[in-house]
Amino acid sequence: MTAHSRRDGTLSSVFLLAANILIPAAIFVFATGFFPYKPLLSGLATYDAVTEYGDPPAAPFDRLVFMVIDALRSDFVYAENSGFEFTQSLIRDGAALPFTAHATSPTVTMPRLKAITTGSIPSFLDVVLNLDEGDESSSLASQDTWLAQMKAKGTGKLVMYGDDTWLKLFPGTFDRADGTTSFFVSDFTEVDNNVTRHIAGELKNDDWNTMVLHYLGLDHIGHKGGPRSPHMVVKQREMDGIVRQIYTAIESQDHLHSTLFVVCGDHGMNDAGNHGASSPGETSPALVFMSPKLKALESNLKSPMPEDESFQYYSTVEQSDVAPTLAALLGFPVPKNNLGALIPHFLPFWANKKDQVQLLMRNARQIRDIVLAVFGPQIFESNPDANAATESNIDYRELALGWEDLANSYSSGGGDIPSIEKWLQHAQGVLSSMASNYDTSRLFLGQAAAGAALVAAIIAAVWCARDKLVSFIPLSGIVLAYGVMMFASSYVEEEHHFWYWATTAWFAYLGVRGLKRGNASAARQILTTTALLLTTRIIRSWNQTGQKFAGEPDIVKTYLNTNPALLWCLIGVTYLWAHQSLIYGLSGLPMWFSFTTATGLVLAAFTFKVAFTLEDAPELVTDFARYILKLHLTHSATLITRARAVFIGLALLTAITVLSMLARRRISLNQSGTSTLLTLYTLLALTQSRPQNIPLYLLHNLQHLLLSSATSLGTSLTPTEITTSVLLLQHAAFFAAGGANSVASVDLSSAYNGVAAYSVEAVAVLTFVGNWAGAVWWAVAGCVMLVGWRERNGGTNGGGTNGGGTNGGGNGGNGGGGREKGKGLWKAHVAVLTVFVAGSVVAVMAACSALRTHLFVWTVFSPKYLYCIAWSLGQHLVVNVLVGGVVYWLGVREGK
Amino acid sequence: MPLVDPIIMSTTLAKGAAAQAQAQVAFSKTAPVSPATTLRPVQIRPTPLAQATRPRAPALLAVLFIARFRPLVTDPVSAMATALPFVAALQVAYRRGRVRTRVRPNAVATSLLSLVLSLLVSPFLYAAMILFGAPFLTHSAHTFLCAAHLAVLTLLPLFFVHGVDGSAWAVVGSFSAPLDETFGGLLGGMVGAWLGAVPIPLDWDREWQRWPVTILCGLYGGYVLGRVVGGTLVWGKSF
Repeated sequence: MTAHSRRDGTLSSVFLLAANILIPAAIFVFATGFFPYKPLLSGLATYDAVTEYGDPPAAPFDRLVFMVIDALRSDFVYAENSGFEFTQSLIRDGAALPFTAHATSPTVTMPRLKAITTGSIPSFLDVVLNLDEGDESSSLASQDTWLAQMKAKGTGKLVMYGDDTWLKLFPGTFDRADGTTSFFVSDFTEVDNNVTRHIAGELKNDDWNTMVLHYLGLDHIGHKGGPRSPHMVVKQREMDGIVRQIYTAIESQDHLHSTLFVVCGDHGMNDAGNHGASSPGETSPALVFMSPKLKALESNLKSPMPEDESFQYYSTVEQSDVAPTLAALLGFPVPKNNLGALIPHFLPFWANKKDQVQLLMRNARQIRDIVLAVFGPQIFESNPDANAATESNIDYRELALGWEDLANSYSSGGGDIPSIEKWLQHAQGVLSSMASNYDTSRLFLGQAAAGAALVAAIIAAVWCARDKLVSFIPLSGIVLAYGVMMFASSYVEEEHHFWYWATTAWFAYLGVRGLKRGNASAARQILTTTALLLTTRIIRSWNQTGQKFAGEPDIVKTYLNTNPALLWCLIGVTYLWAHQSLIYGLSGLPMWFSFTTATGLVLAAFTFKVAFTLEDAPELVTDFARYILKLHLTHSATLITRARAVFIGLALLTAITVLSMLARRRISLNQSGTSTLLTLYTLLALTQSRPQNIPLYLLHNLQHLLLSSATSLGTSLTPTEITTSVLLLQHAAFFAAGGANSVASVDLSSAYNGVAAYSVEAVAVLTFVGNWAGAVWWAVAGCVMLVGWRERNGGTNGGGTNGGGTNGGGNGGNGGGGREKGKGLWKAHVAVLTVFVAGSVVAVMAACSALRTHLFVWTVFSPKYLYCIAWSLGQHLVVNVLVGGVVYWLGVREGK
Repeated sequence: MPLVDPIIMSTTLAKGAAAQAQAQVAFSKTAPVSPATTLRPVQIRPTPLAQATRPRAPALLAVLFIARFRPLVTDPVSAMATALPFVAALQVAYRRGRVRTRVRPNAVATSLLSLVLSLLVSPFLYAAMILFGAPFLTHSAHTFLCAAHLAVLTLLPLFFVHGVDGSAWAVVGSFSAPLDETFGGLLGGMVGAWLGAVPIPLDWDREWQRWPVTILCGLYGGYVLGRVVGGTLVWGKSF
């Protein structure tokens, strides 16, 4: 008995604590090895630094208009039925040279702009930094880009109109600028008119040498209605009109005579209109170079082109090729960190073959400098045995040898253009695939730490175990199956199926178990189980996520988006439910107070949702909802004020609830204060959820009721079963709201609720709550269930599986036996959750390092690692352990 | 609640008629099911011939399934529809020849009734499959035929032995029945069908990943395995 109590006490706590400290440490160490900061060459490249090729050849252009149209997929410009008729006529005339520019994953704006301007392949970390837009380290102000080079030329000012990502990336670079934010994707026109209104004036100015334009409307249309939206061709025509305006100005105005005009997309979009991953549609934006001077190249290509499933129109180049090509065409040295190759189609601009060779050699020389910086000079040493031993080095060694050949052939006069081009392509391939050269020792260290965390967690869980070890079989099955799954890219993409599949089986098992114990009637048992399965089935088909079946019909697309009246009915019912629970949850307070506060808060939350939806998705708002908004007294309030009112109200009520729980005063007459906290959190979750996902909380509530009503399930769940259910439902709820392991599925629409000035912390918290709302809900609901179990089993002394105890009622009435039973309840819960998290971290790390040379490492496994970080640090440590711990502790304190 | 085949019933229920009646009341009303109600595992007639031919029926099912796999992949609905009578006939024929009964009145009627009952239960199995994630608005014929196969394979033998005896079914429904060929088959078939969903999300783009080919694979594999193992290795054991 002493051995048991020792295990049950301090020692298991030590192991549990160790596991939960090791998890973040392991994640951090592994991340530094998996996403290393690449060595960046600092400073600007200059022609003077490289003297062996003589003076640089004269450049055909001196001015640049760089027009980015967000999400401009190749077929939008090149295919039949495109709105870009003027651009297509330029392609036919040879005044425009079209390409498909391959964009590497992640296909989101910021990393793509980095690739276009520096010519490098941005590391995956930039995705995180893309969300964290205020981060200084993502700034390119100090890096070598074609913007910096154009500024260094000193021939004119830099101006920029459009997406303010440019202003964040290049602080202090632009002399005149007007940034637009892509806050509401429902804005198709304003956001673009704010760019267009500057163009006519700027075309008359001749004090600039670089004008950057970035249009967001087309991307917004894609997000809202997909590539086949009726707005799409209209927007394309509008963009084509701007192309015509600029091109005509270049043709007709003298000071613009030598202007190079580039139109490109930063990324494309998939068939659903989203982007972030690496489907052909997402990675194939258009890239068009335009100028009357290009007619000299006599390309005269066919246009429009027939539809192409793979979106590869004309020649395909890398997006990073833009940087060295602009360098050659505008006459500045290739940016130092560039991995792109000069697009050979432009070489005929230089009549002299020597000039062509020189341009290519300068490009190659600059890439050789990167190889030198990454691998050190020894890789270029002539002794072939020096470094060729390791297999991973063989490619770089080959590059080094190839460079020697190029240099030799150049110095012996001439230089062979095809072989330089071949070397450039090869270098580009090798260097971009090693875009992060993994630090294997750190990968190993991270895995070792995660493994240790897993072992410690298992020991803690076994020692804390309150039920028979047999009851851990389902949990162990989940951990094992999940671990195996992480090694298959399709299972990572389709992870939601695993959770739905496992949750359904788990509920069926609970039903059979209830029948077996037979404490309630079989009919009620079957009814309860069927109801649980039915809610799970509805939740499952709420949002279609994943890759394989993306875009297939689901409840949101089929019934809610097409039927706003139904949607708002369900939303109304959800808010009414929240209202009723809140009054019930505050019933310990004076009646008038609980009623007015609950009504005020729920009304504020509901009207915020209506007002927000009116901005974000006006097509979803019915006339009736608009009418309510007008009726409401605060119709002039801004969204920020509305959101803040909700947040402040929630904070005040939470404070009141917590204080009365601390004072052991029942905030709610008939239930634990933890239920009141759950209701308050529900309101926060509703505020941070898309309107279509709001009815999900009705279903979650229903599931919670079914699970926690002891009588209807025959027996109350044991603590282990509560933990298992909570684990399954947390994940199921996350995916049901549309979550997935893809960067494209991060929902940022609620990230700025109530935020006026950018604040990293606020946006990060709001983004997390917005995406993990359902998972957090179940974490809190788990605490409510555990506190309920404790209270139910408090009065009876060793009542076994008896769940018929009174459900609350003024005082918990814990006898000595109750305290004994309640002790360690929470620890056992956390221990089991820690086992799962540690197990998943081990599996994801092992999959990431085992498959790090795999094709899918950047598209599937790296995003999964980021999600794993969010699950284990955010959902596990912060929500399940910290928030859950506080809620549980408050519940226990109140019940004493 | 009339018993279909009183003779068989008396062999399978351990307790007397009184307990049976009590248990039936328990099932239909709200009183708790008496945990004392236990089932005896179904025994195979110990004749040398029956023992020798023991693995033949599962093997036949397996062969039938493998032989019809190609058509199943190309046209699941018609393949499942045409196979259903054969599977049913096989199940009935086997049951009639093998289950140990002292007297055999109305053997034909019992078989027929078991078949009808299995088919009547199919809509409920269909609903259960929907709850477990089968497509709701599309593939109705696919799912329904799959449910019918599930019923004929796993439930028909159980109807044959237990008839419509509520207490026996309560024990089977709570998975407390002792393992034998029938209960092992039910367990194996259900778990197999559930596991059959595993390969569907893989991005292999194979024909056989179509609904409900893998489910049916799991069902038949699990049923054959469960029946063989239930009738031999773990016979008589219960959870």
